[in-house]
Amino acid sequence: MTAIPATRKRGSLARAEGRQALGFASPALVGLALFTIVPVVLSIVMSFFDWPTFGERTFNGGANYARLFANGEFAEALRNTLVFTILYVPVSIVLSLLLALGLGPRIRGRGALRVLYFIPVVTPMVANVLVWKMLLQPQGLFNGLAQTWFGIQLPNFLADPAWAMIMVVVMSVWQGLGYNMLIFSAALEQLPESVIEAARIDGARGLRMTWSIVVPMISPSIFFATIMTMITSLQVFVQPQLLTGGGPGTATQPLVMWIYNQGFKFQDLGLAAAGAWILFALIIIVTGVQFAAQKKWVHYEH
Amino acid sequence: MKKTRVGALVAIAAGSALVLAGCSGGSSASGGDDAVTVDMWAGSADDTAALKAQLDIAKKQNPDLKIDMRTSPWNDFFTKLTTNMASGNMACVTGMNSGMLSSYTAAFQPLTADDLATAGLSEDDFAPGTLEILKNKGTLYALPFDVSTMVTYYNVDMLKAAGADTPKVGWTFDDFERIAKQATTGGKYGFAVGMGDFQWQALPIAKSGTQPATQDGKLQLTDPDFEQAATWYAQLVTDKKVAAPVASASDTGWGENQYTSENAAMAVDGTWNAVGYLTNDAGFTAGLAPLPTGANGNTSLILGSGFGIAKSCKNKDAALKVLGSLLSKDSQDYIASSGRSYPARAESQPLYFDSIDAKYRDQVKKVFDAAFEDTQGQYVTDDWSKVGTYIQPQLVSVYNGQASMTDVLSKAQQQFGE
Repeated sequence: MTAIPATRKRGSLARAEGRQALGFASPALVGLALFTIVPVVLSIVMSFFDWPTFGERTFNGGANYARLFANGEFAEALRNTLVFTILYVPVSIVLSLLLALGLGPRIRGRGALRVLYFIPVVTPMVANVLVWKMLLQPQGLFNGLAQTWFGIQLPNFLADPAWAMIMVVVMSVWQGLGYNMLIFSAALEQLPESVIEAARIDGARGLRMTWSIVVPMISPSIFFATIMTMITSLQVFVQPQLLTGGGPGTATQPLVMWIYNQGFKFQDLGLAAAGAWILFALIIIVTGVQFAAQKKWVHYEH
Repeated sequence: MKKTRVGALVAIAAGSALVLAGCSGGSSASGGDDAVTVDMWAGSADDTAALKAQLDIAKKQNPDLKIDMRTSPWNDFFTKLTTNMASGNMACVTGMNSGMLSSYTAAFQPLTADDLATAGLSEDDFAPGTLEILKNKGTLYALPFDVSTMVTYYNVDMLKAAGADTPKVGWTFDDFERIAKQATTGGKYGFAVGMGDFQWQALPIAKSGTQPATQDGKLQLTDPDFEQAATWYAQLVTDKKVAAPVASASDTGWGENQYTSENAAMAVDGTWNAVGYLTNDAGFTAGLAPLPTGANGNTSLILGSGFGIAKSCKNKDAALKVLGSLLSKDSQDYIASSGRSYPARAESQPLYFDSIDAKYRDQVKKVFDAAFEDTQGQYVTDDWSKVGTYIQPQLVSVYNGQASMTDVLSKAQQQFGE
């Protein structure tokens, strides 16, 4: 064992304990290396290679990244993902917050109502989408009712470029509402009674109470829900894949579906990896900005 | 000092043992020389049961081999195959389809006459022309277990109720348009357009006598004849309004589903579904006819599926034996007599018609004979599946009148034509 003065100072016991700790941590470390670090590093390497599923792999520098931006379809997928996120996140947060506030202590059977709103979250997405398709298609419920009651022909929602994205958002909001509602409800139940009482003595009521007392008090939960919702919506895949197939054309094809197509349908893993890194960078930046901005509006002290 | 080192070693050993135990479930590499895995698509319990029956035949013929199978639905099969190729996990005997082969030739071993002999097969076992199905640029990559072509299916009850004629062998595109128009009534449509490559391209190919790719593998979506016929096809929805606009790009089986749910009186699909359509769950009387004939005949693609041997396969001889069993007379007789599909083995073909309900037997035989008469091997480009993936969601816009077929085809030609 090479002994340099600095380590000798720490004492042999500390070193021995360090080794033992490393030993006990090794299962977790091996797991982390095997399932996280290796794939991450490999995907960086892949993104700089022409990497077909089968056959010769050649280093091509940044050519994959150059191809991404020369490719109109990638830009369109990026735009679709951003449009989805911008529409979905605020609507989902606001609606689930209103729902959580609405299902306050005075509502009878609110436990049952919460379960009802939570059902779409636990139902498999395939079943959710099937129901929405049956509502939205031209031979579906909505168009059927519109025609028999008002004699109006509704647009072909999932095949109309102007409507398809809106319907993907509407369906996603409906599906994800219960999850954020549960987070907000839990936070609302935890509100310290003393603060509410003090505000009430000071004359705060109704909207004033909600906006100036309750919402700031649960702002850590709102922050958490916003971050998580933002990340999942940047990664959106299943809803458009099943509901619109990314169509019509590429009108609802999000970034992840584009990556999936490049990698698994077109067998161009290098290009897919490069796309995935752009998505990763996007998520890191957006999350970083949110963390930086939280000082302005999130209150951690009770 | 020594004590602590032992302690650390014990901790590491215990730790890695835990990890290894956790992982061991995941990495079940294929066993020794006598183990052969068969990978095939199967979309339903019926499909899986039929595959198992064929596997049992293979097991009986090769008692010394350990044969197992894995399956996944059609769409997932090819995605998984891609992943398995990348991770060196491809099954020794893997299913392949004529329309998909061009993207996967790199993964299969070319088959020689010697290989066929090892498998206990000879070229003469197969019906004439069927060995072309799984060839790419002249090289044989897999042996077909079934042959199919595209035909028109119709709902007799709906046509009768609408007072429309019935499609017959030798009918023309004028007949087709007339019947479609007659049957479009009361919120139902005379025809349903397809979204799958085979389903939507069948009529344009028959009408123009031209495939969207040349025999030597060049894309020709903008060939004037094909383009004109494809435009005519889209106009069935947009102008003539004898077919419903597609609801979503995720409805990849639109035409077929519209037909089975009795929203449309006619649809084009492969002969592989003949039995399913004739004995349909909805209980309507069904019929089938070859594709209509135009000025350029009624060219139909000869398609089919089969099994090939993975390039990565270590026990090729054993795999060939399993392949031979899967295409043996017993196995082919089974798929023929159960009516699952029209076998590629010539001597087993007549059994297929025996399996068909007596009510339909003569009609099916007559239509099959006529439909297989004017067939052509499918011409594809190297990135054919990319072309299909690109065009499919665009078709929705075409059928809804928001894009023209000419535009979509010329954009695809520009992107993939090089």
